[in-house]
Amino acid sequence: MTGGKAEAGVRPLRRPSDLLRETGVAAGGNRLKGATDRTWPPAFAARSEDRAARAAPRAALVVLAGLPSMTAGRLLALSSTAATADACLAEVRDGGAGTAADQAVARATRPDVEWGALQASGATLVAVGDADYPVALLDLFDPPAALFVRGADRWWSRGGRGAAIVGARRCSAYGVEMAQTLAGALATARIAVVSGAARGIDSAAHHGALDGGGSTVAVLGCGLDQPYPPGNRKLLDAIAESGAVVTEYAPGVRAEPFRFPARNRLIAALSEAVVVVEGARGSGSMITAEHAVELGRQVFAVPGPVTSELSQAPLALIRDGASLIRGPRDLLDEMRVLNDGGIDDDETTIGRGGGPAPDPVDGGGAESGWSPTPDERAVLQALAGAEPADVVAMRAGLPLPRVLSVLVGMEVRGLVRSVGGRFERTLRSAR
Amino acid sequence: MSATDPTVAGEMYGRVLTATVVGIKGHPVTVEAHVGRGLPALAITGMPGSSVQDARERVRPAVEGAGLTWPLRRITVNLAPANIRKDGPGFDLPIALGVLAASAQVPARDLGHTLFFGELSLKGDLVATPGVLAVAIAAARSGARALVVPAGNGAEASLVEGVEVVAAPTLGAVVGFLRGVWRPSDTAPVAPEPDAIPSTPGVDLADVRGQGAARRALEIAAAGGHNLLLVGPPGAGKTMLARRLPTIMPAMTRGEALEVTRLHSVAGLLMHAGLVATRPFRAPHHSISGAGLLGGGSGLVRPGEVSLAHHGVLFLDELTEFRRDAIEGLRQPLEDGRIVVTRATGPVEFPARFTLAAASNPCPCGYLDDVRRMCRCPQNRKESYAARLSGPLLDRIDIRLAVPRLSRAELLGTGSGEGSAVVRERVEAARDRQRARLAGTPWTSNAQVPGNLARRTARLTVQAEAAVSRAVDSMALSGRGFDRVLRVARTIADLEGSDRVQAVHANEAITYRGQDAAVQAVAG
Repeated sequence: MTGGKAEAGVRPLRRPSDLLRETGVAAGGNRLKGATDRTWPPAFAARSEDRAARAAPRAALVVLAGLPSMTAGRLLALSSTAATADACLAEVRDGGAGTAADQAVARATRPDVEWGALQASGATLVAVGDADYPVALLDLFDPPAALFVRGADRWWSRGGRGAAIVGARRCSAYGVEMAQTLAGALATARIAVVSGAARGIDSAAHHGALDGGGSTVAVLGCGLDQPYPPGNRKLLDAIAESGAVVTEYAPGVRAEPFRFPARNRLIAALSEAVVVVEGARGSGSMITAEHAVELGRQVFAVPGPVTSELSQAPLALIRDGASLIRGPRDLLDEMRVLNDGGIDDDETTIGRGGGPAPDPVDGGGAESGWSPTPDERAVLQALAGAEPADVVAMRAGLPLPRVLSVLVGMEVRGLVRSVGGRFERTLRSAR
Repeated sequence: MSATDPTVAGEMYGRVLTATVVGIKGHPVTVEAHVGRGLPALAITGMPGSSVQDARERVRPAVEGAGLTWPLRRITVNLAPANIRKDGPGFDLPIALGVLAASAQVPARDLGHTLFFGELSLKGDLVATPGVLAVAIAAARSGARALVVPAGNGAEASLVEGVEVVAAPTLGAVVGFLRGVWRPSDTAPVAPEPDAIPSTPGVDLADVRGQGAARRALEIAAAGGHNLLLVGPPGAGKTMLARRLPTIMPAMTRGEALEVTRLHSVAGLLMHAGLVATRPFRAPHHSISGAGLLGGGSGLVRPGEVSLAHHGVLFLDELTEFRRDAIEGLRQPLEDGRIVVTRATGPVEFPARFTLAAASNPCPCGYLDDVRRMCRCPQNRKESYAARLSGPLLDRIDIRLAVPRLSRAELLGTGSGEGSAVVRERVEAARDRQRARLAGTPWTSNAQVPGNLARRTARLTVQAEAAVSRAVDSMALSGRGFDRVLRVARTIADLEGSDRVQAVHANEAITYRGQDAAVQAVAG
C-alpha cells in the first residue's frame, strides 16, 4: 500500500465523471477551479438600519433560515437582486420570491419573536461577514448565510484544523472502536473532530474526541432545539460544553431525511479531510465524501471484510483512490502530523469503549511490556476474523473450555470483543 | 352389600365403584342407580360436568347395542360424594353397569371390590379414555381388587401395582365378565422398564454441525438443570439445538417416568401406550393462550404445556412473541416446580418442574451483530424488542448464549460433533456429584440452589474469586448476574470433576452471562 508518510500531496481521486484535481492541504482548501464565482453581498448580514428592527437587528436572517424551501443556494441567488437579508425577506413576503409555503411562513412569522426565542435559548447567530464565520464554508457553491451555534468553541477562527469522521448509523462494534480511536488520535493532535451527531459512527467519533480532551463540532440537519437524534441529548450537551453544535436551520425546523445531504456538505466544508469508517452501499457518508472531493478535501476510508455490508462504502472509496486508514498512525501521517507530537498508536486513548473501561494508567493491556501468555498468544493467533469460540479452539489446538476462559480474560482487558457469538480482536490487541 | 335390594315393590337399586380425575389425582366415586316408577327418563345428580351429562345420551344405545334391555322406567343416577365435580367420559361404563345392576341384568357379586372406568361408543364398544393411570392409582390406593378399563388403556393401567387390570373391548365383554362367562384373553401387556434409554430417531446431538460452543452450553444446562436462552439470527440452528437438549439429559427414574405418564394420560396423550420413558420436549407456538401454556380450561381442568413438560424441556421459540400473560404465569412453576389453577370448586395443582429452553432473535429483523448482513431495524424498534426480553423471566435463565449464523465454509470445515450418548454420560456423572454434594438439602441440582447459598457453598479458589470480581467491576455484572455465574461455574466444575471451582471454570461461566450490545450503549 503506497502513500502515507513520505508522499507529498494527496493522490487524486479517480472518478469517471470528475476532472482530475490537484489539491493542497492548506487550511480552508482551494476553491474549485471553474466554479461560479458567487459570494454573498458584503452587507447581506449587516445589522438592520430599520429603527423598528433595532431590538432585533438580524432577525430577518433567523426567519429566512426557517423557511421550508429556501435553501442556501436559492437565497444566495435571491441576494443578487435583494442585497440584504431584510430585503430578501421583504421579497418573499411580497410574493416576489420563494415558494408558496415560504411566503406563507414568512408572512406568519414575526421576526422579533423569533429573535427573542433564539436569545432565550442561549444560541448565537453567526452570519457571513462576521469574524466568527468559518471561511472554509465559502468554498461551497452554496454556503449558508448564517449559522446557529451552541457552545463557545471557534477553532476555525484561530487557525485550527478540522477533520470529519462519518459513517453508518447502524454500525458494528468494530466501527465504533475505529471511530473512537481515530477521533481520540485527532484530539491528541489538536485537530477538531467534525461529525453529524447521528447514532453510530458519528456519536462514537464525538465521544472519542471528548474523551481525548479535544475539540469537536456537531453539525445538525435541524434546528438546535430539536430533540434529534432522540437519546443523544446528553452527548449534544457535552459537545456544546467544550466544543460547538452548529446548524444552518432556525429553531423549530425539524429533522427530515432530505436535509441530511445538505448538512453533509457543511461537514465536508468545515474539514480538511473526511474519514469514512463504515457504511453500506448508498450510505450518507458517500455523499459527504463526494462533497469532500468537489471541495478539494481529502477522503480517507477504513477497510473492513469484503463480505460485510458495512464495508461496501469505504471499500468503494478506496477503489476510487481514497487513502486506506488502518489506524491512528496512518491518519495522522496523511494529515501531516509530525511525530514530535508524541502520537503513537500505543498511546492513543480509547475512552468509553464497546466494552470495559480501560485502566487509564496502563491503557488496558497497552502497557509497555505486556506479553501474552502462551495460551493467549495461541488464541490471538487463531483469531483470524470474527470467529466462533469452537473454531478458535480447534485452530489453536486447545480445549474449548480453556479457550473460553482465555477469551474472557482478554475481553476484560479490551483485547478481544464478543459480538453475536463470535470473538474478534480489537485494535488495541494488534501489535 | 347387595346391589339389588328391592325394598319397595317395583323399585331397584344398583351401586358401582369408579373414580374421577381432578388435576392429575383420581378420587373414588360411587355411582348409584335407582330404577323406579314414573315416566321413562334418566337424571344424573352429584355435580356432573357437561361431559358426564353427555353420558345420558350415549349409555342407552350402548346398552341396547350390547344386546341388553334399557329399562323404560324413571332412572336416577347419583354420583357420590356430591361435593366433587365429576368430569370426563369415563363415567359411561359405571353408569351403564349401575343401571344394569339396578335392573338385575348383571349380578352384583363383584361390584363391591372392582372399579369400572371407560367411555362407551353408541355400539357399546369401550373407547380408550384419558386419565386411566390416575384412576388406577386411586383404585390401588382405595384397596380395590380389580379395575376394569377399555382395552386401549390396558397397558397404562398395568403400570400400577396392587390392582388386577381387566382390559375389556366392549360393554358386552364386561357384562360377560360379571356373569362369569368372559375373561380377558391374556394378562394385559406389561410395559417395558426404562432400562435402556430409548432414543427418538433422527434427534441426536451429532446431527448438529459446528456450533461447538452451543453444544457445550447445552451440556452444562443438562448437567446442572439450568435454563437456557439462545439468541441469534434466523437459520443459526437455535431450534435444532434446543430439540437435542432432552437427549443429553440423564434418564428419568421410574418415579419420574410414572409422573410424566400420569400427566400425559390425564391430558389424553397416552392412547394405547405404556410408560413414557423419554423426557418430554414441548414446543408450543407463541400464539398459545395462558390457559394452554399453564393449564386450565372450563369444566375439566387440563394440564398445560408447563406440566406436559414436567421432567423434560419446555422450549419457547421466539420468546418475545409470547403473550405477556402467558409469560408472567411461568413465574410460579419456575420458582416452585408446580402450578396451581384456581377454580370455583377449589384449586387444582399440577406438577411443572421443567428445564426452560428459549430462543430469540437479537432484534426484529434478526440480523443484529451478524457478520455479513446488516441490521436495518430502527433504534426504537430495537429497544422495544430488547425490552421484551428483560425482566423476571430472564432472571431465571442462568445460561444465555449468542448463536452465530455459520457460513457454509464454517459448517463444512468442522467435523461431526459428539453424539448424545457420549455427552449424556458426562452429564450423568456431573449430576451424581451434585446429588452427593447437595444431599441433605432440599435441592437436587445446581440450578435450584438460591443465590445466597450458592455463594456460600460454591467453594471458589482465590483465583476464581478474583476472576468473578473482575467481571463484576469491568463488565457491569449485577448481583443476580453474579449468582447466576456462580451456579453455572459450580456445574462446570462438576463436569470437570473438580471439587473446587477454579478460575478456568469461573471464566467460562462468565461467557454465559449474556451481554447487552455495548455498541448500542455507546453509539447512541
